[in-house]
Amino acid sequence: MIKKSIQKVYLALIFILLYAPIVTLMVLSFNESRTRAKWGGFTLKWYQELFKNEQIMSAFYTTLVIAFLAAAAATVIGTAASIAIQGMKQRWRTMYMGLTNIPMMNAEIVMGVSLMLLFIALRMTLGFGTILIAHITFNIPYVILSVSPKLRQTSRHTYEAALDLGASPLKAFFKVVFPDIVPGVLSGFMLAFTMSLDDFVITHFTKGPGIDTLSTKIYTEVRKGIKPEIYALSTILFVSVLVLLILVNYSPDGKEEEGAKKKVRKPSRAKVIFLRRIVPAAICILFVFGGIYYAGENQMMNSEKVVVYNWGEYIDPEVLTMFEEETGIDVVYEEFETNEILYPKISSGAIAYDAVCPSDYMIQRMMENDLLAEIDFDNIPNIKYIGSQYMEQSRQFDPENKYSVPYCWGTVGILYNKTMVDEPVDSWGILWDEKYRDNILMQDSVRDAFGVALRYLGYSLNSTDLDELTEARDLLIEQKPLVQAYVIDQVRDKMIGNEAAIGVIYSGEAIYTQKENPDLEYVVPKEGSNIWIDSWVIPKNAENKENAEKFINFLCRPDIALMNFEYITYSTPNTEAREMIEDEAIRNSTIAFPDLEELPELETFQYLGQKADETYGELWNQVKSS
Amino acid sequence: MSSKLIDFVHVSKAYRMQTVLDDLNLYIRENEFLTLLGPSGCGKTTTLRILGGFETPDTGKVIFDGKDITNLPPNKRQLNTVFQKYALFTHMTIAENIAFGLKIKNKSRQYIHDKIKYALKLVNLDGYENRMPDSLSGGQQQRIAIARAIVNEPKVLLLDEPLGALDLKLRQDMQYELIRLKNELGITFIYVTHDQEEALTMSDTIVVMNQGYIQQIGTPEKIYNEPENAFVADFIGESNIISATMVKDRLVKILGVPFPCVDEGFGQNTPVDVVIRPEDIDLLKPGEGSIDGVVTHLIFKGVHYEMEVMANNYEWLVHSTDMFPVGTEVSIHVDPYDIQIMKKPESEDEEAVNIEE
Repeated sequence: MIKKSIQKVYLALIFILLYAPIVTLMVLSFNESRTRAKWGGFTLKWYQELFKNEQIMSAFYTTLVIAFLAAAAATVIGTAASIAIQGMKQRWRTMYMGLTNIPMMNAEIVMGVSLMLLFIALRMTLGFGTILIAHITFNIPYVILSVSPKLRQTSRHTYEAALDLGASPLKAFFKVVFPDIVPGVLSGFMLAFTMSLDDFVITHFTKGPGIDTLSTKIYTEVRKGIKPEIYALSTILFVSVLVLLILVNYSPDGKEEEGAKKKVRKPSRAKVIFLRRIVPAAICILFVFGGIYYAGENQMMNSEKVVVYNWGEYIDPEVLTMFEEETGIDVVYEEFETNEILYPKISSGAIAYDAVCPSDYMIQRMMENDLLAEIDFDNIPNIKYIGSQYMEQSRQFDPENKYSVPYCWGTVGILYNKTMVDEPVDSWGILWDEKYRDNILMQDSVRDAFGVALRYLGYSLNSTDLDELTEARDLLIEQKPLVQAYVIDQVRDKMIGNEAAIGVIYSGEAIYTQKENPDLEYVVPKEGSNIWIDSWVIPKNAENKENAEKFINFLCRPDIALMNFEYITYSTPNTEAREMIEDEAIRNSTIAFPDLEELPELETFQYLGQKADETYGELWNQVKSS
Repeated sequence: MSSKLIDFVHVSKAYRMQTVLDDLNLYIRENEFLTLLGPSGCGKTTTLRILGGFETPDTGKVIFDGKDITNLPPNKRQLNTVFQKYALFTHMTIAENIAFGLKIKNKSRQYIHDKIKYALKLVNLDGYENRMPDSLSGGQQQRIAIARAIVNEPKVLLLDEPLGALDLKLRQDMQYELIRLKNELGITFIYVTHDQEEALTMSDTIVVMNQGYIQQIGTPEKIYNEPENAFVADFIGESNIISATMVKDRLVKILGVPFPCVDEGFGQNTPVDVVIRPEDIDLLKPGEGSIDGVVTHLIFKGVHYEMEVMANNYEWLVHSTDMFPVGTEVSIHVDPYDIQIMKKPESEDEEAVNIEE
């Protein structure tokens, strides 16, 4: 008895663990209230909004088309491969089966990266085609896996019998062997379709700008903050994958039952024709025409476009719409997370981006590697609204101001809580003050952390001198017992929540924290600090350089710059836009708009080369592990 | 030989260094019921598959009706095969199965319909048109497989152990049915089996094979009564195979005792093997026969008694309708024409010598 109930409890626990998250998501998708915290009543409005969202619906259609085409192609290739493998001698068969299974066992990310590298090496433009090829590739093993057992069951004698009766090998296959393996082929197709439908990692690496499948779309959306539509979308995705999986798992059984019935009575001819011919034909026609229509739409989009590659959440979406309306140029918009992700994409030339927004040191690196085109400033008259001091700062990485147009900028400094820190703060030294033990937050990134130490010691934060770096390391090790935590984004939240007294933070974040907690104060220490500038550049392989210049010029227009400032809250170099800020406190904020002349020495980070990068990394590890 | 329909000329085949057929030479006449008989691995099925086109010989060629068909694909050959495991198309009805070959040849609907009717009648399964193969018994399925083959009017029908999967009673019925079919159709049957009884019952000619060599070719009677070597004698029915010495023409010394026989030309004092069928041994009273002995085993087999008689240190197998209890003293007698003399193989390999040489 007890054993039984324990079994049941155990089972229930497993099911709860497995399904609780999904059920939560599904329930939330019907929640009237926008916040996760409270239940606002049942509603279907998120589903309605989902279907109204053109981007998501287009991603949905792309997903279906890719899944269908990839599954179909993989089914044909995989079935053919299974037949070939089946015909091999035992030893080879085992080897080939092993080989085809490897891509399935392989980590998806390895698959994704290697496919991307291959496409790039072959000079293929990442986009619909590359996603399709990637999906076909990873689907083939699944098809082989489900077709092979069926093939092994079929007697080779029936094939030979068909040949013997005069059928050509091809005819013998389709008339005799194929009907026997149809259940395997179908479940292979379904499996491939399902795999393709919910693949994220491989798609992520092989996709180009302006094309998204549902999973990559969800990922992008989630990064911006989760909207209830996404719950609805995820629910639909989950349910459809579930249904497909059920179909895959139950169809062979169904077939057997049908086979049992066949003994008594053959299924009616009409039914057979309907199932075997009309249904597949209808699906094919639907997808083919859908695909043509879809490709046509894309073609139209391709006429006049600009391909933009920007940080996530780094532009007011309304700005993009306005630009499209005013110029008739379509914006193909893609986002990146770090400069390091951006660099290989540009350097490989796999995707011809027109306008890209990297940070200072990355711009320098791109220039050094001859990846950037000179901007024709005659096409950017609005450059006059960008403050000269920012152009001057840009010379640190773009000495002649030929390649870049500043977009956002900020400093790194100390954020402190006035209720916890009585003394005036003006030096990095406070981060080494025993009084604030366990109340100090440091940035958990190598350059930011070393930057603080190097400036405190009076060195350049681009130092590559090993003695200076060792000194900085020792200083950081010395500081370690005082530090509450090494974090990145949590500096903001912890400071707002009065969880720490002092933190190293970016000025853009500081403005935001002050709005939330007036006790917080931001200062750039007297020893000097880092200034960062994100600027627009045009890669050398841009296909729509003039459109890119139009786009950059548009962003420099004061009203547009203002919209972006209000959306992003990072300091804008657009002096005209600053004048238009209504909130006086912000307009005159010394954090958002300090007089660069009055600030201590500010340096941009520079690309130091691979060897220096390694040295930094090694020393940082020593700090972290000490 | 004007009626040579099929001719294997110096055909050899090896799988992975292992010889399956070694320089096979064999011809098959029109309208013959020829059986390839031998233990598994003797090369009989390979021979059939080479003829059917499913295997290509490593060397040599196959002539069919005067034409070299060695490299012709199976679907271009004027012969049909009945496979060991029937190989019916399970997703098709019986009628569709039978019509398969005819549809490929683009015959008219009416022709196909008539052929199906005729074929089903021929195999005693009229009215089964719309059944599915799964719903038939093994014997019925086999008859459908035959029907499916013969509607194509092949010149030769190849049968690869078609009765192997059937039970004894059904197998016997099917044997008569096959003989009847052969007579009605008037075509050549090439039959592969390891069952000597089947071979003896149905064949016009039996080809006994072992280890890729033909051991003997002949009518069932000749194969049974005059096996040319110990392997054939042993494989076809039960036998007493004894080492002996041919003293001179018409006299052989078996276990030290001279026996008159009818064979000549083996020379004088030549070591030979003799074959004596168990039913050819007469048991007489002690002293009345050639060798005296004692009955050591007795089993009742229905039509006869099977006994073992120990005489001159050899255990003689004897079939007789008379019963001699264990312990009875008897004397063995063999008529001269019931003693079959065989040349002794000179080496291990020669046991499988090609007798056509």
